[in-house]
Amino acid sequence: MFNKILIANRGEIAIRIIRTCNRLGIGTVAVYSDADSRSLHRHLADEAVHIGESPSQKSYLDIAKIVAAAKATGAQAIHPGYGFLSEKADFAKAIQEAGLVLIGPPAEVIDVMGDKITSKELAKNAGVPVIPGTIEAIKDEKEAIAIAAEIGYPILLKPAAGGGGKGMRIVRKPEDMKDALAASRKETLKAFNDTRVFVERYIEQPRHIEIQVLADSQGHVVHLGERECSIQRRYQKVIEESPSPAVSPELRERMGRAACDLARQAKYVNAGTVEFVMDAQHNFYFLEMNTRLQVEHPVTEMVTGLDLVELQLRIAAGEPLPFDQSGVTFNGWAIEARICAEDPTRGFIPSTGMITRYAAPRGKGIRVDSGVNIGGKIDVYYDSMLAKLICHGKTREDARRMLIEALNGYHIEGVSTNIDFVTSVLCLPEFAEGALTTGFIDQHFDGGVSKRSPSLQYLQLAALAATLIYHTRTVAVRESLLHMVSDIGGKRDLGRMHQYKVRCQEDLFEVALEGTPVSGETCTIRIDGSTHRVEIPTFEFFRRRLKLNINGQNYRFRIRFEESFIFMSFNGISRLFEVYTPKEWEMMRFMPEKADQSLNNILLCPMPGLVVDVLAQKGERVFRGQNLVILESMKMESGVASPVDGVIAEVLVDKGQAVEADEVLIKFELEK
Amino acid sequence: MDTQYNTTLETLERLRAESRAAGGEEKKVDQHRKGKLTARERLELLLDSGSFEEFDILKLGRGSSLGEEKSYLGDGVITGHGSIDGREVFVFSQDFTVLGGSLGEAHAQKICKVMDLAVKVGAPIIGLNDSGGARIQEGVDALAAYGEIFHRNVRASGVVPQISCIMGPCAGGAVYSPSITDFVFMVEDSSYMFVTGPSVVKTVTHQDITSEALGGAKVHASRSGVAHFTVHNDVLALREVRRLISYLPSNNRLRAPILDLSDAPDRTDPALDFLIPSNSNQTYDMNVLIHSILDGAEFMEVHAGFARNIICGFGRLGGQTVGLVANQPAVLAGVLDNDASFKAGRFVRFCDAFNIPLISLVDVPGFMPGPDQEHGGIIRHGAKLLYAFTEATVPRISVIIRKAYGGAYLVMNSKHIHCDVNYAWPTAEIAVMGPKGAAEVIHRKEIYSAEDPEAVLNEKMEEYRRTFANPFLAAQRGYIDDVIFPRDTRSHLIRTLQMLDSKKTKGPDRKHGNIPL
Repeated sequence: MFNKILIANRGEIAIRIIRTCNRLGIGTVAVYSDADSRSLHRHLADEAVHIGESPSQKSYLDIAKIVAAAKATGAQAIHPGYGFLSEKADFAKAIQEAGLVLIGPPAEVIDVMGDKITSKELAKNAGVPVIPGTIEAIKDEKEAIAIAAEIGYPILLKPAAGGGGKGMRIVRKPEDMKDALAASRKETLKAFNDTRVFVERYIEQPRHIEIQVLADSQGHVVHLGERECSIQRRYQKVIEESPSPAVSPELRERMGRAACDLARQAKYVNAGTVEFVMDAQHNFYFLEMNTRLQVEHPVTEMVTGLDLVELQLRIAAGEPLPFDQSGVTFNGWAIEARICAEDPTRGFIPSTGMITRYAAPRGKGIRVDSGVNIGGKIDVYYDSMLAKLICHGKTREDARRMLIEALNGYHIEGVSTNIDFVTSVLCLPEFAEGALTTGFIDQHFDGGVSKRSPSLQYLQLAALAATLIYHTRTVAVRESLLHMVSDIGGKRDLGRMHQYKVRCQEDLFEVALEGTPVSGETCTIRIDGSTHRVEIPTFEFFRRRLKLNINGQNYRFRIRFEESFIFMSFNGISRLFEVYTPKEWEMMRFMPEKADQSLNNILLCPMPGLVVDVLAQKGERVFRGQNLVILESMKMESGVASPVDGVIAEVLVDKGQAVEADEVLIKFELEK
Repeated sequence: MDTQYNTTLETLERLRAESRAAGGEEKKVDQHRKGKLTARERLELLLDSGSFEEFDILKLGRGSSLGEEKSYLGDGVITGHGSIDGREVFVFSQDFTVLGGSLGEAHAQKICKVMDLAVKVGAPIIGLNDSGGARIQEGVDALAAYGEIFHRNVRASGVVPQISCIMGPCAGGAVYSPSITDFVFMVEDSSYMFVTGPSVVKTVTHQDITSEALGGAKVHASRSGVAHFTVHNDVLALREVRRLISYLPSNNRLRAPILDLSDAPDRTDPALDFLIPSNSNQTYDMNVLIHSILDGAEFMEVHAGFARNIICGFGRLGGQTVGLVANQPAVLAGVLDNDASFKAGRFVRFCDAFNIPLISLVDVPGFMPGPDQEHGGIIRHGAKLLYAFTEATVPRISVIIRKAYGGAYLVMNSKHIHCDVNYAWPTAEIAVMGPKGAAEVIHRKEIYSAEDPEAVLNEKMEEYRRTFANPFLAAQRGYIDDVIFPRDTRSHLIRTLQMLDSKKTKGPDRKHGNIPL
């Protein structure tokens, strides 16, 4: 086994690797860029080497610097984590040439698997089913149309290089082929400097199922069951679980065998993942093999009880696998949610800033793999994933409920996160039923908001909590004045019944509190006729988190005062609750609807980043919702849409320009 | 006998009903249609339920000298007293449905009566303004009446808190009463304030401008600084007034109420250790610090949209109300300019008048340079803030967060103008000026005669930064009471406030100082 390894990564995965190394007594060397000089992974490692400026090309993607850092610190092996250099054959070669060990497969295997065409050929040779389609890049649309006629529409145009859905196009009829192919080529050329595109059958209602395999250098191969990662947004996984509700033991065995055959055929060594797409009839087809540790590996670890990083290290050190296939057992169900710094209400744009509050959930069966802590800075340079929250229960429903509870208690402030979004995914009945497809999010969500209105019961609980907070806060002011009454006079009678009207978007609730809530005692609260017994906690207003015991069950809420109102986050609901006294509510009917406060004759930059493209020119007519500027931030390109219908009066930015949040990008002339 | 008595009761009932009917149902509907509440509805929301005691409901308007207008019972304003969260306050609420809420002699006398009582009793005065201005038909009497109100506003200033809530028009001379009061709230889209209205502007300067653009809530909250708070509608405005009052003492002899938000005094916040960016040219948001140290993260910002390079407002530490004055590095790097000096100066004087301890959070690179500022009187305006801080006798604590350069540092409640206790974060840089300017002045010759002036400049800047860009030199000289870990800021502030609780300062006898107004 190694004495010391270098971790060529950052964030949660670097920390996760350090944790195993610490347990095994292996020394760790972290590398860090300028932006990460105060980051958690740097400080948790035994040693740390500064490898350059913040952009990843100048640090985490700089092979020479990383290999030099390993040599300089005497590290014997390098763990690449995921992303960055983890699937770069050049990196593997450089490590080998430097006399070090890559904790991963050999360079040749990475090479073969990194190309969609060669990997597909290899799968075919191993007898693993692949999606019907071309195995060679197509020449032009004529050829594409001919092939499509053979394998049947709809078809998918798929670039040979890259990933993340870039350049993919679905074509449903021959007439659309030409435009789709041109668009696909353009995109893939820009992203990967490669124009090879191939055609395959497009699988409707697909599920993403992947098999974790382990192979040692002695040729032993085992699989650790499947993970289902169908919940994706723009080909980025959001929620992953193991096992999959769609996979029977018999199917697991078949898929596992296929994955192992593939690994053997490829002479694979170390941990890898074989990704399959599965159709509604449970036919599965090989997609690709990821030659590294996956982001979602913890769900497999929780159901198998294994430490994949430890096994990776042992395999890389030349040890044989300590068990065979019969030694792999599965226990319970694990679901993982990826927590990202992004704003679902604004088209999932990345969010940057300092984490001003951080409280991760804890408890039995709850695992948090986090790369950040309070005070951490989220920069534009790296991907937006902050942490992973994994819950392990006896059944899928157990795990789902635990995860929802844990997410309700996950408190991050300073940057926007997708916590409420993933919670609302988990709360959907279709998710609970396991009716997943990779189109799940598009099907059930519109702009980050669930198309289905939240359950009335959840809304009522949130309204109840909001009212209780509002009431307690109001009473606190009265009490603060009591001792001064001799000086300043005034009435003190509070009455026994306290009635409120609570508005939450179009829902209206009547809430009545009986008596004065005293912490430690139980209070009766009525909401629209139903009665609830609530144990009154001590209200610590600073915490902005509240645990309430309602009718004997614990609920966690995140709360935030917004002017006179309360913003509640609970079970995927993230809404403003307006608590009014009956008299205020009576008067509210005379109040004009809040006018849209946004400035609508300018386009403001929603986040700091780099202008990749400007899609409109002065004098051009544009429409609300049309993308006018493409920004790159945190490795993500996103469009900035026009807030209005109008004519562009002035474009204030150029391609390649760095822009700050709230900078004016475009001015409009409005149509009267 | 009984019959006569009954008749008297009936008369009383009838008169009260007449006064309550005010301008009539039609005008009331009109008011609602404009998105405004009536004067009486506003008081119902402002005051605790059932606490309102009305005065002068039967007071009759003096009638027009021209004899054309009808006289109204109550004369277009409702006055009296009631309680807010159990605390007594005096109120007047102008009734736009009666002669457009115009101010006549009787109307003004009613207001003056409650103001006199408020000062006698020591309770806050809250005015809800919705008035077309002076009642022209009453001529000089109306003008004289304004004078009486102004006089009382000034007499009450610094004795009881005075709050104005502009919920409709407020034009002409009428604007000066709110502007003397301590805080002005304005309701968006339904209130405006100006000395001369759009029609006069048109006649005199030929400019077309709407009431909203000339004197709406947004303009006054961001450009002129007339409005301290803006609110979406009447209901929320009255809530906000109640919230502001909760921070304040009832008069200058009392202390603000202690509000327990169950927030531990020794709570630390590790995030603060990371707040200051490693590069001193990078900005950060001072609000993070403010919300971190205050009880319950609750902060009521005053003038939030005006001179955003300085932040002023109320919060609580250990339950006690404090006035916070903080430079905002995220806006104009936190420089002091004319507006910022005025804004903070007035806020400091309010706190001092009402026994509210002052805390300054300092990150100031200096005064704003340039002819605009110099010719606009940065010398005069900066002096206001200097005067206000220096004069304040309430407990004064200063925390130097990062930059504390030159005169601006002195002005910001520094030890040198006798703040009681000052702390510095390890990131503090106390110096006459920033590294670049200083290096250029000190090593001018050396830099310009060098082969590579930039390299020499950088080297000298670095040297200067090493020497001065830390709080330790100042601490050695005793100018800093302690250099603290950022995470512990809250507990240091609360302990020091407890220590300063019984602070007494007596200056020389004088009528009053001469603040450079």
